[in-house]
Amino acid sequence: MIKIKKTGLNEFIEYLMNDYDVYGSADVGKKTAFKKIDSASEIRHDITNTHLSPKDVFFPQSEVLFQYSDDGLKVPKKNEKPIAVWGMRNCDTSSLMMLNKVFGDAHQMSEKDMYKDPYWKMKYDNCLIFNQACNEPLSTCFCNWFEGNPFAKKGADVFVVDTGDYFILEGISDKGKAFLTKYKTGEDTTKADLNKIAELKKTAESFMPDVVDIKPLFNKMNKIWDEPIWEEISAKCINCGACTFVCPTCHCFDVSDEGKGKKGKRIRLWDSCMFQIFTREASGHNPRGLSTQRVRQRIMHKYNYFMDNYEQHLCTGCGRCVQVCPVNLDIREVIKQVLDYKLVKNEDN
Amino acid sequence: MQQLVEKVKEIIKNKEVDVVIGWGKGSLPFSATPIFVETEEDAEKLIFDETCRNNLTTYLTKDKRRISKEYNKIGIVVKGCDSRSVVLYAVENQIKRENVVLIGVPCNGVFEKKKISQLVDGKEVLEFKIDGDKIVFKGRNFEQTHSLKEILCDSCLACQHPDAPEHDYFIGTPRKEVNVPDAYKSVEDFGQKSAEERWAYIQEEYSKCIRCYACRNVCPSCYCPECFVDQNDPQWIGKTPEVTDSIIFHLIRNLHVAGRCVDCGACVSACPVDLDLRIMSKKVEKEIKDRFDYMAGTDINEKPAMASYCENEKQDFIMG
Repeated sequence: MIKIKKTGLNEFIEYLMNDYDVYGSADVGKKTAFKKIDSASEIRHDITNTHLSPKDVFFPQSEVLFQYSDDGLKVPKKNEKPIAVWGMRNCDTSSLMMLNKVFGDAHQMSEKDMYKDPYWKMKYDNCLIFNQACNEPLSTCFCNWFEGNPFAKKGADVFVVDTGDYFILEGISDKGKAFLTKYKTGEDTTKADLNKIAELKKTAESFMPDVVDIKPLFNKMNKIWDEPIWEEISAKCINCGACTFVCPTCHCFDVSDEGKGKKGKRIRLWDSCMFQIFTREASGHNPRGLSTQRVRQRIMHKYNYFMDNYEQHLCTGCGRCVQVCPVNLDIREVIKQVLDYKLVKNEDN
Repeated sequence: MQQLVEKVKEIIKNKEVDVVIGWGKGSLPFSATPIFVETEEDAEKLIFDETCRNNLTTYLTKDKRRISKEYNKIGIVVKGCDSRSVVLYAVENQIKRENVVLIGVPCNGVFEKKKISQLVDGKEVLEFKIDGDKIVFKGRNFEQTHSLKEILCDSCLACQHPDAPEHDYFIGTPRKEVNVPDAYKSVEDFGQKSAEERWAYIQEEYSKCIRCYACRNVCPSCYCPECFVDQNDPQWIGKTPEVTDSIIFHLIRNLHVAGRCVDCGACVSACPVDLDLRIMSKKVEKEIKDRFDYMAGTDINEKPAMASYCENEKQDFIMG
């Protein structure tokens, strides 16, 4: 564990930039997001949750899978430097671990040859994540419903706490520890620093909402698929894709070909289960033609199907969907609604 | 808004309507949320204040109606812009006017969350208090006072029909039309810039679009059963958020709602990346007004500008 004076932080980030392509929380347009920085001063350290999630650092909204022309096929190569992300919060670090189950190495079964996505792996493997503690969680944060905590370190390579004048850096993973050892310039932390961290953690936790016990959620979801509750939940949804696009865990994609003559490219791009075209078949039939069915799909994927496949909920409680929904369809209320729902068709037990 | 609650209870009790679409208290300080009221008891949840931003008429048209229940007669609480959308639907034969009961509410404008966020420099406002023409924002470690006007939607600041020109009931007393001499100031100011500057601005702005289509989906005038961006045979535009494709999407959407946009500002409020969507829609509105003397949704007996023809119309844009 080392500490770096805030005035010396840019020096540290520039040192990081020697070995890594560094992404940080920064202003992008009128909003905040993670972007590749050219200079340490571009990073904003006062942002809690960026408006857009960092998933696009590893899973871009549109990504060229290959290009073709008379010269043959060109597949994107791995960048020379691995990626480092500065200023990520634990909800986002956790979301990447979930995506790594879908695309990467985190969920492999020995008896099966599981798919590993090369485009994800070339970015996510070897990345270095600086996970910053949230001193002031937002009112829309609810990571504590999902065993998260504003000071959680799970999945971090380096855990960072802003203590006012200093950033305290704690190596968590081997590569995180190794990097801090390599960077010799930091000061040693004192007992007072540890006390300060404990104090900040306590304050941050006091800002979190009451924990809702979501243990029964999965089982409840098992019985709810054909219940009338979905009409009630979905009535006001206007089926835009804002929630899915700002969500750090939504990962459904489409593949599109763009080309003319002998030249072109195949692109993978984010898709949204909220769009009616998402499931429309070539015949014109749409198995999820109704808004109700699409809303059910999104909620079921988050709190039931993903659990079935990967033993956890596909939600980290970052609250971004709550912030952007144009009709204030608040997912925290949906969860409570489902938990409180008295089954009409199926038996409860 | 007890009067609103009483009126809705009354029309539900009299079976004048099967449902009333209105606003209820939302989960965030500046967001009311759409509610569907079927019983007198539920009517108690209705509110109307400056947080009632949504244009609820977007739930009315058949192809966009997401409520899977079939209602014969729908009541809807409307601000000025919302009532104009109902007029639009009626003149475009999307609804029968007599099947909708409009409850007008006196509107002084609604809040634009984005403006609030800018004023407090991105800090989180946890509550607010209105005191006359001032508003006090309170966050964890700050308190800031601003004038109400600073945080109203641009659409509201330019609104000339705040009090539901078309209504069956009105809560309170409707005002006459409001004269806003500088309603098109934003368009005129932008027009002063050089073509290069304007193009650079449009490109910069739309390069941030993430193509979530929130603008299209909240828009009451955007009710095509299948949007051109969703067609893939032929595919009209690329699906990635590449700037040229995003500009094409927004340009076509703008032209498609030409003479039909009621400037309710729903698209602006819905955009998760705060695009300046109004810079083009207001320009188109002005063009239609100048050329055809037409304002969408203001007269239920007038044919839509784009669906009618007059011999004395200005045709200089065709003849050069």
